[in-house]
Amino acid sequence: MANSSLKQITFKVQRYNPEDSNPPYLEEFTIPSSRGMTVLDGLIYIKENLDSTLSFRTSCRMGICGSCGMLINNYPHLACHTQIEEFHSNTLTVKPLPNQPIIKDLVVDLMPMFNVHKSMKPYIIRHDTKETENPTAEFAQTPEEVNAFLQFTYCIKCGICVSACPTSASDKLFLGPQALAQCYRYCADSRDDGQQERLSVVDADHGAWHCHLAGACSEACPKGLDPALAIQLLKRQMASQALGLRRKKRPSPVVPPLTETKPKVPFPEFTVKDNR
Amino acid sequence: MRTTRFRLVHMLAGAVIAVLLGIHMVVIHLDSILRFFGANTANTTSWQAMIERAGQGTWVGIYIALLAFVLYHGFYGLRGVILEVTTSAKTTRIVTWTLIIVGIVTFIWGSYVPIALLSS
Repeated sequence: MANSSLKQITFKVQRYNPEDSNPPYLEEFTIPSSRGMTVLDGLIYIKENLDSTLSFRTSCRMGICGSCGMLINNYPHLACHTQIEEFHSNTLTVKPLPNQPIIKDLVVDLMPMFNVHKSMKPYIIRHDTKETENPTAEFAQTPEEVNAFLQFTYCIKCGICVSACPTSASDKLFLGPQALAQCYRYCADSRDDGQQERLSVVDADHGAWHCHLAGACSEACPKGLDPALAIQLLKRQMASQALGLRRKKRPSPVVPPLTETKPKVPFPEFTVKDNR
Repeated sequence: MRTTRFRLVHMLAGAVIAVLLGIHMVVIHLDSILRFFGANTANTTSWQAMIERAGQGTWVGIYIALLAFVLYHGFYGLRGVILEVTTSAKTTRIVTWTLIIVGIVTFIWGSYVPIALLSS
């Protein structure tokens, strides 16, 4: 790219080193920016050319791994998924995700979020141990049954929803939109039989009912998920269960082996005859 | 499903309050509107009218039910707000039991007056 298309952008990056006694402060870096450059590209430029001590998390650079969540111009974004020119400004403020403890600079400790996520038992629970330990075939599931939870499987656990959530900001024990959405994702899975185990975790003072339905999680999610919807659907499941309106559904059975196979489609005749 | 049941009662209480408070507001404070629609209403805020209502079981029932639902709805909501800013299990227990005791005492105190007026 020609140098004439380069624009100077000032990055105000929050610096913090727990080994120093200094509180977090903003440090300014001016970098050349071109069309299509992401905030992550800018941070990598700073690290490679201006200050190698700057710490931030990154991995895939294409919005899949969920490593580079950070607060850009006071709104949580994935740095790799956010272009500098989106902000129409010559100054960008980059801070670590709020509602999470800071490890260093832009790196936050996501372990509390992962621990809550783990407490949701984010895997298929079934009580037919014989089949789960020695599977013979896949479990039957219709496209409608998949659609009931499909969007929530796209969660990349970046922690942006937790950072955007006002309830997570005020209530340190709140389970958070990420874990609650994943709880719904597994409870809504027709193959799963572990609802009792999960709902007993979210049916608590700081659980699903503590969500104020601000909807900030859904607005901020970089993958376009709707965790607020998942939490409301989870509340509906819990209310139906508490009122005894929920019919006990058996988890999907194993797909039976095919009894007959269709004959193979015959190979078509060649349209061009070889007359040699 | 303990918390869910408490939450559902909280929501139900909100709906019941809207109905009971609606009855109270329409009959007591919006009597001019009732008169507009042809209802024969006396001066509903006078002492005499109040004593008259206090002698009717339906009104006493409405007021005691309204008090019970308001106390539950208000105190459970207040507990939720306080719990949002506390992480200590001990504080949670103290807050819960304080609100339960204050709620019961207020209910007994508040329902004593209409019952006493009804039985006098």
